[in-house]
Amino acid sequence: MLTKLTGGTLYDPANAIEGKVRDIYIRDGRIVSTPPASEPVHRSYALDGKIVMAGAIDLHTHIGGGKVNIARTMLPEDHREHVRRSTTLTRSGSGHATPSTLAAGYRYAEMGYTSCFEPAILPVNARQAHMEMADTPMIDTGGYAMLGNDDLLLEMIAEGAEQETINDYVAWTLHATQCIGIKVVNPGGINAFKFNARELDVDDLHPHYRISPRKILRTLSLALNNLGVPHPLHVHASNLGVPGNFHSTLSTMDAAEGLPIHLTHVQFHSYGAEGDRKFSSSAAEIAEAVNRHPNISIDVGQIMFGQTVTVSGDTMRQYANHGHAHPNKWTCMDIECDAGCGVVPFRYRDKNFVNALQWAIGLELFLMIDDPWRVFLTTDHPNGAPFTSYPHLIRLLMDRSFRNDLLSQINPDAAASSHLSTLDRVYSLYEIAIMTRAAPARILGLTDRGHLAPGAIADIAVYHQADNPERMFQQPMLVFKQGEVVVEEGRITRPINGTTQVVRPDYDPGIEKRLGDWFEQYHSIKLQNFRISDDEMAAGIGSAVTIHPCRGRN
Amino acid sequence: MSALILRLRQSSHQRIDMSPFTPERLADMKLSDIVQLPLWQGNQQVACGDLFTLSGDDPQDIVIQSDSDRLDEIGSGMTNGSIHIEGCAGAYLGRSMGGGSLSVSGDVGIAAGCNMSAGTLTIAGNAGDLLGGAITGERQGMRGGKILVKGNTGDRAGDQMRRGTILISGNAGDYCASRMIAGTLVVLGEAGAKTGLAMRRGTLLLSQEPVSLPATFNDNGKHNLNFLTLLTRSFQDQAGFSDMWERGSRVQRWLGDLGCDGKGEILVWC
Repeated sequence: MLTKLTGGTLYDPANAIEGKVRDIYIRDGRIVSTPPASEPVHRSYALDGKIVMAGAIDLHTHIGGGKVNIARTMLPEDHREHVRRSTTLTRSGSGHATPSTLAAGYRYAEMGYTSCFEPAILPVNARQAHMEMADTPMIDTGGYAMLGNDDLLLEMIAEGAEQETINDYVAWTLHATQCIGIKVVNPGGINAFKFNARELDVDDLHPHYRISPRKILRTLSLALNNLGVPHPLHVHASNLGVPGNFHSTLSTMDAAEGLPIHLTHVQFHSYGAEGDRKFSSSAAEIAEAVNRHPNISIDVGQIMFGQTVTVSGDTMRQYANHGHAHPNKWTCMDIECDAGCGVVPFRYRDKNFVNALQWAIGLELFLMIDDPWRVFLTTDHPNGAPFTSYPHLIRLLMDRSFRNDLLSQINPDAAASSHLSTLDRVYSLYEIAIMTRAAPARILGLTDRGHLAPGAIADIAVYHQADNPERMFQQPMLVFKQGEVVVEEGRITRPINGTTQVVRPDYDPGIEKRLGDWFEQYHSIKLQNFRISDDEMAAGIGSAVTIHPCRGRN
Repeated sequence: MSALILRLRQSSHQRIDMSPFTPERLADMKLSDIVQLPLWQGNQQVACGDLFTLSGDDPQDIVIQSDSDRLDEIGSGMTNGSIHIEGCAGAYLGRSMGGGSLSVSGDVGIAAGCNMSAGTLTIAGNAGDLLGGAITGERQGMRGGKILVKGNTGDRAGDQMRRGTILISGNAGDYCASRMIAGTLVVLGEAGAKTGLAMRRGTLLLSQEPVSLPATFNDNGKHNLNFLTLLTRSFQDQAGFSDMWERGSRVQRWLGDLGCDGKGEILVWC
């Protein structure tokens, strides 16, 4: 069956198409090249004057796994106050800061998103995380497994294990947890917290293993590079939220020694300690460093004012911030010695100096980093704000007068200490398409999406032209998933389920000997039960895997 | 003007959400509008007139006639006027109530008066668990006002209570005043096991020793506490509590829960 989208204005940065009117043909869920005129078109959509982009990709959003569920149970008021009623097609859901799985999937699709990636899957929790994401309808999902605070890796590094051995362990973890990337959260810091350390900077030594976060970063980024995993090491750097932490962030960039790494929610890592309040913006230093290092990509983790909840594996920093919990309830816990977990509800206030400056710092990063291919649009959902605020964020980037209006309403001291008012840059639709589609696909190694060339999965979002980008991105006219219309005028018309995106680097199965001994001695389950098979993903968990290629081991 | 009377047509299998029926929400509405008011019955919305027969015209004075235990959230969020229930009420009676008076002639379900901040709630029958407590996830229960129960209550009466007064003529269940932050709770009958568990501050006044106290309460011995004379005299206009002041001011005192702040006191007349 052939579907034709006629006359839409395409923004497809992966193929350098900016605002050109082109037709798109879809067959069997994929975009195809123009077929012979003799071939009958079964369905056709007239998209004259409409904006056509690939389906959006969120590469950092906490939508599955233990900590999200803890946040849901901790904040029943978030669910009581935000109810989504069932319709004849969709099921009911609830929640604003941490929406239920169904509500999250529907809302993402209603905004034109078609793939989302959970950035913090504890290997021991991978099964639960995949189950939740399988229960999140409409979107394809994937996850990054967390390493770098597990005792096995730290022990291996401390005893000077061969890089090859560590590569095998990393690859085995990707296989066993059905993940597409590796994330490190506060390298070594979560583990050090359990040895009573309350801070661990990039060059500090872990109190027990006597290795530095720098060493962990270097080892893991090298492992991913050697294995040919497309997504570079996903780094939640040391000292999140600490005034003056931009030094740690710059050291983290250095630690990669030129290898690609992705620094996540950098807004929380761009703080100086200047001024009367010992809190200032160091976005300029960070942006300058990102501009200088082509091996580095970032996502921003923009904050928005209002109630949300912070969920993180970074027990050390969440514990330090628990005094700010609003409402006053929080938890930090160890998860089976794999890593940690901290859930602290938070309300960002525009009249609060620190919160207002955080808001400005995020926007400064967006506007001062030159290359939109290396900066991604995230709020670190739900840590900076729920993902539902993306259209608002896009307007902030695209509309300077709107941005300055809001800047005049925030805490005046914060506004005065920020460069934001002097930044004239506005993002174009093309740049928005880069940072929400083409670039995330490229950095995740997803060749089958994020663009509109023949061969791509027909995940397509069609928007009405509008002066207000917030309105435009809030409610797409049409969203295609695998070639089928699933959303019309911002409403779900066809509920579907996605697949799980994974990579499979080669490894030497000999590593299982050491892992088996470790599991036998220290773990709560056996090695065979730990790993998730493809059959279990498809039949048990309910989300079959889609395997994406690696570059090959080097 | 005569009281607005709602009489339940027939008992419902599904629970009915009565929160739209408060004096302020019905103010300025004609009876013909009220009849059309949509109410949630289970997962369906049903016009009020299909569930109740209505008469009267004064939404400041609402009377609900029902023997069903399925009418939830009666008086939820009310701030003025009065609601009287002839019969029984379901869960969350007077939830987050901020004023006015709410009374029931029979029994009520769980979490009556939860999160209330002002007003008077009078229950002539028995109350369920979590009387004056907190709805799930909230960090504070009752924050003010007065609850009077003539019968018995379920477990965890006054859970996370922050301020206000709860008077119970009958027995209280287990974990009475659990996680109490502050406020006053009086039980004339018997209080159950682990009374005062995780209590931080506040006063629990009992007429006899509870079934058991947590191990983290310290016995302080017998005391003459003159403030009790003032406290009990303030209850003189409450039916069933008017002669409390005659019991004097000599009490056995326990302090706890030492697992928390440990500033809560349990007083038992000797």
